[in-house]
Amino acid sequence: MLNHALLVLGVMVVVFAVASRLKVSVELSMLLAAIAGGLAHGSGFSARHVVDGAFTYFDVTLIFLSATFFMNIVKESGGVDYIVGGIVKRFHANRFLCLLFLTFILLIPGALTGSGSVTVLVVGALAAKVLSEMGIPKEKVTAIIFLCAAMSAAAPPVNLWAMMAAAGSNMPYVGFIGPLGALSVLGALFSMFWLGWKGSPIDAAKVAASIKVDARMRGWRVGLPFAVLIALIALSRIFPHDFPILGLPLCFMLAAATAAAVSATKVPLLRIARDTVDSLLPLVGMMIVVGILVQAMSLSGVRGLISLSVVTLPLAVIIGALFVILPLSEGLVQYASAPLLGVPLILLFNMKGIDPVVALSAMAVMWPLGDILPPTLVVGRAAVMVTGYDGSYYKGFVKATLVPALFILALSTLVVIFSGQLTFLKALG
Amino acid sequence: MKKSEQGKTLIAAKAAGLVAWAAVMVFAGVAFRQHRAWKEPVVLGPGVTAVRSLHEWFAPLKGTENDCNVYVLDSGLPGSTILVLGGTHPEEPATNLAAELLVENAKPTSGKLLVAIHTNRSASTVTRPGEAYPQFYSIKTAWGQKKYRMGDRSANPLDSWPDPETYVHYPSGQMLAYMDIRNINRTWPGRPNGLLCERTSYGFMQMIRKEKVDLVIDYHEAELEYPVIGTIVAHQKAQEVAAMVSMDLSASQFRIGMEVSPRTLHGLTHREIGDFSDATALLFESPEPFLDRVRGATNEALLLTGVDEFVQRAGKAGLLYWPIDEKGWPIEVRVGRHIATTSKVFEVWNLLYPEKPIAVDGLPGYGDLAAKGVGAYFADPASVAKDRVAFE
Repeated sequence: MLNHALLVLGVMVVVFAVASRLKVSVELSMLLAAIAGGLAHGSGFSARHVVDGAFTYFDVTLIFLSATFFMNIVKESGGVDYIVGGIVKRFHANRFLCLLFLTFILLIPGALTGSGSVTVLVVGALAAKVLSEMGIPKEKVTAIIFLCAAMSAAAPPVNLWAMMAAAGSNMPYVGFIGPLGALSVLGALFSMFWLGWKGSPIDAAKVAASIKVDARMRGWRVGLPFAVLIALIALSRIFPHDFPILGLPLCFMLAAATAAAVSATKVPLLRIARDTVDSLLPLVGMMIVVGILVQAMSLSGVRGLISLSVVTLPLAVIIGALFVILPLSEGLVQYASAPLLGVPLILLFNMKGIDPVVALSAMAVMWPLGDILPPTLVVGRAAVMVTGYDGSYYKGFVKATLVPALFILALSTLVVIFSGQLTFLKALG
Repeated sequence: MKKSEQGKTLIAAKAAGLVAWAAVMVFAGVAFRQHRAWKEPVVLGPGVTAVRSLHEWFAPLKGTENDCNVYVLDSGLPGSTILVLGGTHPEEPATNLAAELLVENAKPTSGKLLVAIHTNRSASTVTRPGEAYPQFYSIKTAWGQKKYRMGDRSANPLDSWPDPETYVHYPSGQMLAYMDIRNINRTWPGRPNGLLCERTSYGFMQMIRKEKVDLVIDYHEAELEYPVIGTIVAHQKAQEVAAMVSMDLSASQFRIGMEVSPRTLHGLTHREIGDFSDATALLFESPEPFLDRVRGATNEALLLTGVDEFVQRAGKAGLLYWPIDEKGWPIEVRVGRHIATTSKVFEVWNLLYPEKPIAVDGLPGYGDLAAKGVGAYFADPASVAKDRVAFE
């Protein structure tokens, strides 16, 4: 069995490497690796497994699409411009408050969608503009956008790594809001202030001139869609047995409809929907392909081999190496790293008396930092794109992220080690 | 290559991809349909006096996928009424097989047995994405192979969807993972206007109340990486029964533990049935290496033999809560544990509650079952009158 699993794993790795070398996209390379692995396994691999695997993260994908559609409507209706413009107008004299509010603006899209890319695409360019006007060098601005996007993906309520690993280990996705919130907010604030504190005073007039805020835009037009979203989620928790079960995707769609309805300008819904699908295609494709890959790995025993290899390492080595393993695996196989590594680790931690919810939360904050690493570079590339940074990717941009990234990784590792003392964080639900 | 040629090549590649994906969808769709529509024949044994449907106790379930068969095995003599639940989690095949073995073989001589083979029938019509379960498995019998649907832990999303953002259990208010609203062992005692599994649990609770059920036995299997395994979980009202069964079986036949249902863990049979009815409840867990995350290749052989090199390695590394060796945990042993534990529960029950006895003939012993296999206790549906065959 060991040799068989090794053989199938070898086939998967070789096919992935060759496809990547031939400039095939990461998603298609993974799909080819999954199919080749399934075929190498031999009997039992069929079309049914491909489709079954493709549906593994179906619900998450729907949340992705609907949440991003909602955020894009808010952006298109001028809501994001209004918020950022308002922050600059009101707090330009106070650098601390300006950075503080920008951090929270950057946290919202990813927290709602679970995707750092969505943060970068929805608010990245605008936040970068303000940060640049605050005299922060371009590589640091890009680093801030990336790090805050990574922390937004980690922030609750939607953390895809934690959701996927929790689902794989039959653990309720409950108790994560506190630990995920504490770590991601701390990480984002540290990144923002470490990189953005030094600079020049903001020229409010110049920034205001560059942000076109629709004169008809009002606070309630921006706030109402978010209020609808929060109300729908809150009502389903406060009156769970009387309020109809809508599901998160429909909640986001209703909030999106509200945003379109109260927008001061006519919002081109069809174009936004098309653009949303276009921009999310790689991400949605990744989720679908990861499911197929996991299915092929489960079928052939490769998942068991990887899980066994991880859980039989000494515990101290595992915990000590998390800060390297998790980001690297994220860079390599994206979200697939959560079910592949997260599930066995959580079962192991549980057995060794480490609190699984707190520990998984800490791991789920480390994973998104790998989105700056090769071969995928997903969020890193997006950050470079929206800020227009044209310096060295590694020597400039990645180097600028090092101190905050190490801070976040060290903090998260400590949270894993002291998870037993931090269980009070789970009280938030 | 010219630009126009490149464009044509790209279109051709996309078209080919689309056709290939459509073909995959068609083949997969046929496989899904065959799985969902497969009917498992059950030969009604000498003890079966009626086959009823769950909707008879809760009408709104009529026509739903979870309007399951309830087999009545009535001795006609006074005694206890005991409900046995198989297939609460259809990814645990020893549970529906043990329940079916009861239906085909048990003959009560006092008291009454009610048996559900697929408590969450909807969950038996789907396998879990990402886990690569086989869709079917077959049990060898003297008259040929008997084919069964492999299922999932949760109801089919085709029957219950969407899930809530967070599942809030009724009536405790405890928050659970969103998909647990499709896991019937998280929805007890249920509610009449809830989602499918909540309504199914409610239907069973109505049955428990109306039929004056004294004891509910819920069959399960668990991965060896999971701490609640090889044990009986008992509502506090059944604590004495479970303790005596555990001691007796552990001393005479096989090791089985006993633990009391946590009072703060809601939605499970062993908690809610005891709290919300006059009945008490026991849950049996047998070891199923097929469910372990460190398992090797996922296939029917592993499902039925429970032999897995990787799980054994994990055991040697001290990572399991239950032992495993090269013999694995074969299906006949797992079913045998459930049947032997059930028989012992009846025995102990009669000691503790002699005024409400339950006596059942026809059940094989643990040794016999392990030696002959489960299939030895299933009759050929073709050899009996049509009205003695039901379908699951």
